[in-house]
Amino acid sequence: MLSEQFKKDRPYLERKFKTQICNPATGLDNETLKSNLIRLTEELNGEPHELIKAKAFRYVCENLVIDVNPQDFFVCFGCWNRYDRPLSFLMSKWEDEVNKNCLKELKTLEEQNASGSSKMWKDFDHSVPDWEAVLSLGFPGLLERVKTYRRKCEADGKMGLDEKAYYEGLEITYAAILKMLDRFHLYALEHSDGNQRVKAVAACLDSLRKGAPSNIFEALQLIYLFFIFGEHIDRFQVRSLGNLDRMLYPYFQHDIAEGRYTEKEIRDFFAYFMMQWASIDNYWGHPFYFGGSKANGETEINDLSYLILDVYDQLDIPTPKLQIKIAANTPVKFIDKALDMIRRGHSSIVFLSENAIRRALLGQGCTEEEARTCVISGCYEFIPQGRGNGTCAGHINMLKPIELLFHNGRDPKTGISCGIKTGELSEFKTFDEFYKAYIQQLEHIIESVLKCANDFEKYLHRINPAQVYSGTIENSLKTAKDAFHNGSVYNISGILNAGFANAVDALMVIKDFVFEKHEVNLAEFRDILQANWQGHEKLRLKILNSKNKFGNGIESVDSFAEGLALFLANKINMRPNSRNGFFAASMHSARQFIELGEKTGASPDGRLAGEEISKNASPVMGMDKNGVTALIKSVTKIDSALFPGDFPLDVMMHPATVQGNEGLNAMRSLLKTYMDKHGIAIHFNIFDANVLLDAQKHPEKYEGLQVRVCGWNVRFNDIAKREQDEYIKRALSIKE
Amino acid sequence: MSTEGIVFEIKRFAVHDGPGIRTTLFLKGCPLRCLWCHNPESISPHPQLAYYAHKCINCGECVSVCPEHAHAISLEKLHYFERRKCRSCGKCETACLGNALQLYGMRMTVQETLNAALEDRDFFGDDGGVTLSGGEPLLQADFCFEILTALKRQAIHTALDTCGQVKWKTMSMILNCTDIFLFDFKAANPQKHHKLTGSDNRQILENLQKLSDAGAEIEIRMPLIPALNDSDEDIHEAGKILSNLHIKSIKILPYHNMARSKYDALGMANKIPASSSQDNVNSLHAVEILRNYGLEIN
Ligand code: SF4
Ligand code: SF4
Repeated sequence: MLSEQFKKDRPYLERKFKTQICNPATGLDNETLKSNLIRLTEELNGEPHELIKAKAFRYVCENLVIDVNPQDFFVCFGCWNRYDRPLSFLMSKWEDEVNKNCLKELKTLEEQNASGSSKMWKDFDHSVPDWEAVLSLGFPGLLERVKTYRRKCEADGKMGLDEKAYYEGLEITYAAILKMLDRFHLYALEHSDGNQRVKAVAACLDSLRKGAPSNIFEALQLIYLFFIFGEHIDRFQVRSLGNLDRMLYPYFQHDIAEGRYTEKEIRDFFAYFMMQWASIDNYWGHPFYFGGSKANGETEINDLSYLILDVYDQLDIPTPKLQIKIAANTPVKFIDKALDMIRRGHSSIVFLSENAIRRALLGQGCTEEEARTCVISGCYEFIPQGRGNGTCAGHINMLKPIELLFHNGRDPKTGISCGIKTGELSEFKTFDEFYKAYIQQLEHIIESVLKCANDFEKYLHRINPAQVYSGTIENSLKTAKDAFHNGSVYNISGILNAGFANAVDALMVIKDFVFEKHEVNLAEFRDILQANWQGHEKLRLKILNSKNKFGNGIESVDSFAEGLALFLANKINMRPNSRNGFFAASMHSARQFIELGEKTGASPDGRLAGEEISKNASPVMGMDKNGVTALIKSVTKIDSALFPGDFPLDVMMHPATVQGNEGLNAMRSLLKTYMDKHGIAIHFNIFDANVLLDAQKHPEKYEGLQVRVCGWNVRFNDIAKREQDEYIKRALSIKE
Repeated sequence: MSTEGIVFEIKRFAVHDGPGIRTTLFLKGCPLRCLWCHNPESISPHPQLAYYAHKCINCGECVSVCPEHAHAISLEKLHYFERRKCRSCGKCETACLGNALQLYGMRMTVQETLNAALEDRDFFGDDGGVTLSGGEPLLQADFCFEILTALKRQAIHTALDTCGQVKWKTMSMILNCTDIFLFDFKAANPQKHHKLTGSDNRQILENLQKLSDAGAEIEIRMPLIPALNDSDEDIHEAGKILSNLHIKSIKILPYHNMARSKYDALGMANKIPASSSQDNVNSLHAVEILRNYGLEIN
């Protein structure tokens, strides 16, 4: 149970990141801070970006308002608003400069993005610090390590201007962090007013400014501090809070054995800890992960895993979100607890298969050890811990090539010629010819995306030098290269996609209705789609009711889908990127199933213009009519190892199906079969249309009700009516 | 393998029809007439077309395909269905754009049925498998027998969901190839049983006793119907009988009246009782009574 004290403090915690609550006497107000920063960085103009940013970072650390509040175990930084961070302006400014002065493919990029063929951006948001280093060294140890590598670089005679700027930037940054800890410490001492908790926080800060954490509370405080420094101040460098149960277990055992903290107190620490992210409330959810195996083959699930999971259960929050690495050794009891939380609809949990991840990572040249200990980040991405940096460089719209094909390379809505000329429709005499042209259009988009990504990814470190993050990555320190750039051992650029299932279904429809049954010819089809099916409702219904859809375990459709997936993966995987690494294909769609859908006209599979497109490895919403087992069969026909960027599946079920012990066992068996067939990630949406309809009418009765979007959950009450309706529509099509 | 049966539904990922993940085959035809029947489409042994009027979009596709002219579109552009003309050929079901027509009952060979039942073999794991249900599957005894033996030869776990109203010899024939019997228990009192289902329970209890004596694995399924068979007396009587048998467990099936729209769609009169919010409380109470007889409740 959550403590009474926690319940009293909860309103404060919920407010913490939603409004400025720091003592104004402790520093500058945000507006003054920002205008001073603009002035400061202008004065520094001409210096390397690393130094400008480090000095600006230092200025923030010295002048930001702060608080150490008796209602919390974690300190409070003045930069509370997730949209408006003190150094955001620098990123925007440098991005503009890079766009203007450096990019050669800007026009292609803008055209691709505008037409919705793909969506690309400079992604900083998927890197994870080496938490092992952070916890074992603490901030002072990290700074010392930077200095050691700097001296080594000098001794080796390798210190050029770039290297100098790199090391100096890191030193300034980490020294500033230590200085800020001093400020917090002093403030806590001066303002404790006899309060035991504030005193405890002061002691914790004192320890952290001197070295590595020595107990679980200090470790949690350190993770939280690192997050704010890396994500909120230095910007986008902490995409996972780490393998919390494994990393923190030694502290937990020690604290309990020594009698330093009781289990009850530790539960409280985790409740306050998780509430920080609940309060930050990023819609995409901030992850931590559990599980996996030890080198000796035993499970990493321990007493602390159960404790944290239980606290998370009690909190009823969609973020932070939890990823669980499942192996054959993962205890059934633990899986069942997580499944039960999911079916109650109040927790954001996804499962990943350790073995399937292993296959995918070995295929990228990683070692067994790197695969076993890999980090799970973002929604469900995985990458070697402390040695890999991943970006999501571009998202491909798998449905767009069909639209381009119908208009000979031109996007009908924007008029942009972002495809290639594949010829007049009358020239396609067989389905094979049509499909060949589809592949040509698709390939053109893939090549454009890789070309653009290689263009802009050269400058990631120029736009947002990642100093807090780089300071934890040993290879970065060794090579004096920013960890966003090419400082990691594995610098991987993910290429995601959306609308895969729509593309398969649409192509099947063309095959059946145009080339086999001759119910409509291509020119007519083009006009029907241009008219958004108006006047052709019967044909549309016939198409929607037709059987050959992805996700139904139909052999011919699934083989076709597999072929398309193979092509996609093969055109992307292991191609070199511009960060001394390579590209990786991903079956993940993030938010792009909505955004690219908006930019895509009506499609032959019966979809209306602007409607969302399919996400992940999942079928088109509502088109999986043969139930979940058929769905899993279809999806796992594709080898997930071909999508080392990610391979997630969304499964929707009715609460009646999964009720009782039988239901729980069935969920677990389903999970196991999916993983036996090498599926990588799976998440469940357990909902009942009647409940969702009632929630729409009486939101007050369903405050904690969550639905899963893609790799994250949202509160049903928080989403727009239009999106709620989509979920209801989907729920209505689920059979018990 | 060429024996044919009439199957009205193949349910994959069936979770509540025996252990594990199962595929349940619903066979048509039933000897009982339970007042509350949830599966009215299972009663008649013949294929039947259901017409869900609320889904009809008056598209008229059915009119053009029906060889018997059972469908028509009126001058007001509304669809009419004349059930008496229908020969259940299924043509209109495929053509219907509104998913308003559904044919319950397809003729399938044993081999076809097995193929469908084993689609999900990978999901059965150690405990799941195939369940035969209905109606009363044993009305198609040869069909059941062939399916069950074929499954057992492939080491697939088998379950039979039965109302028990068949000759003992029909049941004994499949004893060896059935891993678990899901046996319905509707009322202990013979008169009451007759009132509720149209038959007394003499044969049913005899079969149950014999299965129990033979050491078969039995799960009892008790539908609790408000005011019909859920009095304390009813439950005590059931408890007395069941506690003298070798029963693995009992499953209480709380009542719902969601089958109403199906009765309408099949053109059948429905006499099914209303449900109330009290139903759940009643089933909890029944569980308590049965536990006192030393019975395991699922
Ligand atoms: S099932 Fe056949 S006979 Fe009956 S209404 Fe449909 S098409 Fe006509
Ligand atoms: S085909 Fe279906 S939807 Fe169309 S009129 Fe006939 S019953 Fe109605």
